[in-house]
Amino acid sequence: MSRAWFLYRKDLRIELRKKESGASMTFFGALVLVILNVAQGPGRRLTPETAAGVLWVAVIFSAVLGLGRVFARERENGCISALLVSPASPGTVFAAKACVNLTLMILSQAVLVPVFFVLFGTGLTGGPLALVPSLLLVDAGFSAAGTLLSAVSAGTRRNEVLLPILLFPLILPLVALAVKATGSALAGRALAERLPLLEPLAAFGLIYAAAGYLLFPFVVREG
Amino acid sequence: MTSRRVPLLPLLSSLLLPAAVAMVFFYAPTERTMGVVQKIFYFHLSLAAVAFLSFFVACVAGVLYLVRRERRWDAWGAAGVEVGVVFTTLVLVTGSLWGRPIWNTWWTWDPRLTTSLILWFIYTACLILRSAVENETRRATYAAVMAIAGFVDVPVVFLSARLFRSIHPTVIRSDSVGLEPAMIVTLVVCMAAMLVFWAALVRLRYGLHLQEAVVGDLERRLGES
Repeated sequence: MSRAWFLYRKDLRIELRKKESGASMTFFGALVLVILNVAQGPGRRLTPETAAGVLWVAVIFSAVLGLGRVFARERENGCISALLVSPASPGTVFAAKACVNLTLMILSQAVLVPVFFVLFGTGLTGGPLALVPSLLLVDAGFSAAGTLLSAVSAGTRRNEVLLPILLFPLILPLVALAVKATGSALAGRALAERLPLLEPLAAFGLIYAAAGYLLFPFVVREG
Repeated sequence: MTSRRVPLLPLLSSLLLPAAVAMVFFYAPTERTMGVVQKIFYFHLSLAAVAFLSFFVACVAGVLYLVRRERRWDAWGAAGVEVGVVFTTLVLVTGSLWGRPIWNTWWTWDPRLTTSLILWFIYTACLILRSAVENETRRATYAAVMAIAGFVDVPVVFLSARLFRSIHPTVIRSDSVGLEPAMIVTLVVCMAAMLVFWAALVRLRYGLHLQEAVVGDLERRLGES
């Protein structure tokens, strides 16, 4: 546990000093939001469901950008071998990396969600706080599945292209559920009504946390 | 591997498949409301069943590869994914062909359609992944991980797809089968034919993958000497 915490702090410190993943994730996400706002045309209002779709497009496209970096960094400098001979088990490395990705996603969404409300907020009854449960659950599932697959794609020749190709099909059901849950949150419905939608989101997170913990060691040892 | 025994499965399927086609068109009665369009159902259902079976095979082969580290499990997994993707493509195509005249749309977001489409995407990504890795053991490990990660997605896919309204017919329920006896016989023959055909294809691809690996070994040894 303390080893996972140590690795987590190490990655966050690198991130704070270089600011490559988090900053580019946030910037790209905001860019996607602006592009979608332009594409929507001026002066038109979106229904809550469509607005939720817009938010999720920005979130997953920006998240996949930062996800690849966290693992590719270890590969480039051969640090992965150092991590493997260190006392930390591969499962611990997975947990630490997934938490780093989760943190980065939450940080970038802390900026993206306000930007989303500025651009698309008119006519939506639900506020930013109503989105928090579904955002957190999707972030957890996304970072668990994403960490596993970014380790896979980092070992191939076409790292950057391959990660979204591998990851997006897996998270498609997650996005479908998240759009529904966020749509009803934006329409101002109560949390209890959204619970049947949030449960499968949590299940996805648990499934991929377990699958990642078990499968990640096999992937990193192929280095 | 290079045995010269009779190709039993391909021979059997070359008999069974034409028989199944003949039964579909000449034995099974024509459905009253849907007419001749309904006949695609026999192939659609059989294809869907074996497509799902091949993804299951790929997942099991993936687990066995990670545990045993034997080349043949990777070959089974690769064969399963390849044949599964081809069959899922056919499921989607036959479904669309049926849906256009009956539902008046090529596509709808129904649980079963959504699940098939997402599975198609996941396992096609698996094929792309295989082509992107040169090293044999690394490719095998990655492909195994992806096949397992894709298969554990199925429950969530189905849960999420339940949100969409379903207009897909449920022909086979737990208590009854909504078909004429002659139709049931045709369906059973069709499924058996498809299963044999599927097994033949998977078996052939498996052998081919093993031979490719052996050729790779020989090439490497030639390069060393």
